Amino acid sequence: MLVISCIKQVPDTTQVKIDPVTNTLVREGIPFIVNPYDTHALEEGLALKDRYGLRSVAISMGPPNTVATLKKACALGVDQAILLSDRAFGGADTLATSQVLASAIERLAQKEEVGIVFCGKQTIDGDTAQVGPGIATRLGFTQLTLVDRIEWLDLDKKRIRVRRKLEGRHEIVEAPLPVVITAVRELNRPRYPTVPMRLSAELTEVTVWDNQVLNLDVETVGLKGSATWVSKIFSPERDQGEIIGDGIKDPVGTAHLLLDKMLSKDLLAI
Amino acid sequence: MKALLVCEQREGKLLDTSYELVAFAERLGAEVSLVLVGKEAQAPQVAAKLYLADVDKYGEYSPELHKHIVVAAVLKENPDYIIFPHSSYGWDLAPRVAATLRVGQVSEVVNIVDGKLEVSLCNGKLRRTVSPKGARAVLTVQAGAFNYAGQQSGAPQVEAIEISQGSSALQFVGYEPAEKKEVDLGRAEIIVSAGRGVGKKENVAVIAELAKAFGGELGASRPVVDAGWVGHSHQVGTTGQTVSPKLYVACGISGAIQHLAGMKKSDFIVAINKDKEAPISEAADVMVVADVLQLAPVLAEKLRAA
Repeated sequence: MLVISCIKQVPDTTQVKIDPVTNTLVREGIPFIVNPYDTHALEEGLALKDRYGLRSVAISMGPPNTVATLKKACALGVDQAILLSDRAFGGADTLATSQVLASAIERLAQKEEVGIVFCGKQTIDGDTAQVGPGIATRLGFTQLTLVDRIEWLDLDKKRIRVRRKLEGRHEIVEAPLPVVITAVRELNRPRYPTVPMRLSAELTEVTVWDNQVLNLDVETVGLKGSATWVSKIFSPERDQGEIIGDGIKDPVGTAHLLLDKMLSKDLLAI
Repeated sequence: MKALLVCEQREGKLLDTSYELVAFAERLGAEVSLVLVGKEAQAPQVAAKLYLADVDKYGEYSPELHKHIVVAAVLKENPDYIIFPHSSYGWDLAPRVAATLRVGQVSEVVNIVDGKLEVSLCNGKLRRTVSPKGARAVLTVQAGAFNYAGQQSGAPQVEAIEISQGSSALQFVGYEPAEKKEVDLGRAEIIVSAGRGVGKKENVAVIAELAKAFGGELGASRPVVDAGWVGHSHQVGTTGQTVSPKLYVACGISGAIQHLAGMKKSDFIVAINKDKEAPISEAADVMVVADVLQLAPVLAEKLRAA
């Protein structure tokens, strides 16, 4: 049985900058990372491989340089890594992305039964949280969002029980396989690759499936297949608070000024 | 233009986000109708059509049933927008409805400018203007982004909605309470919060010391809690606790929208951050541009001496 982890390569948002003149995203020199939530999707796939002997597969849709991200997955121990890359897939929103991922999963399912598909709960560069549910709907798999614990997996009965993280409480639900699970951070602690694994990953071939393989209607993928379009990305203008002192050059003086300000506003008299 | 607002109740109480949806729809200039799986006693006090499905029959959350209820209301109202709160409820339900109706979805809307939707990305550093392509779209709205200023005194025209019970593969087992709280930030007069800018777990003690010097409680942003530096009960924000103390001191917090939504109603906000352009500056009354690890000990000492 297969356990599939969907991962996305994203720019490291802690390092994203805006060009102050053009007010657009500076893309040069920004390192790529695995979307942080997807690292938990990857880890849980590997954990189920270790525990139940499932075959673990990582898939990612993206430009050719996404191979680097999939090699990281290989270094962690996935059995197979597949890149879904084609010019026709570019500019996709979440609807069009889930179309491509679902089609790849279907293709895998023709050869081997798929039990669980893991996705991160959202991506940090798009934050739409729809790819997992989109895949579930297309494939008719049961959708389990915001999962923070797998209570048990019964491979004979083909059932799974999970805990979902809600506001101020948890929900326990059970579902028949196959399922799509979206992971929150509390699900697990991702492992790090060992040096030998990292070296052997360099030799691992990442399979590439383009649209000649998946053979999707080009009207349903990429920009054309998207139900939403982005007209601009910008840095929001802000009404800033009053800046007090110079805390870099003079922390002591600034602390004093801040204290005076708070006293004058009667904030400290409790 | 018409909007169907999917209201949310939890454990017998209507959530305020339901009114925020009304505020959002007003900004959109849409004619409003509502749908709620709950009881008539929880009905939002808004003068609009309300489709009410009985929670005893359809459960607090049963994905397939709730999806069919929303879709049934869509068929009656024929709205341009179907709008959910961006809570775990909307998170799970909205994409199901979007997929069933075969329409696009825009998640976590934080603003509307000239009828265009803005969503926040990269931890609030950037915004993206997104438009749905089709005639109809599903939206989820960020909690705290739209304030309802109107009087909650309208009376809804209630129409009961019934669906034939569909079968669901998902089996609800039960709820579990979240882990016990170490602190109750909701009662604190002063909160001093640590963000990712403090650098590492050991440095949280510096902020905790400052909180103590203020006679306040220690809060934290999500990354600090996720990293395991402090317990979840310290988390301020939409997935933690919404607070409104007299004084809120944000230390090394950049100010993701989820964090801002959880603390922007504080009476007075001080932000200490290296980056004066950080989104927190928008919420701050006073901003100190400094390395918080340098400033906090000095400030704590002065407070103790005062």
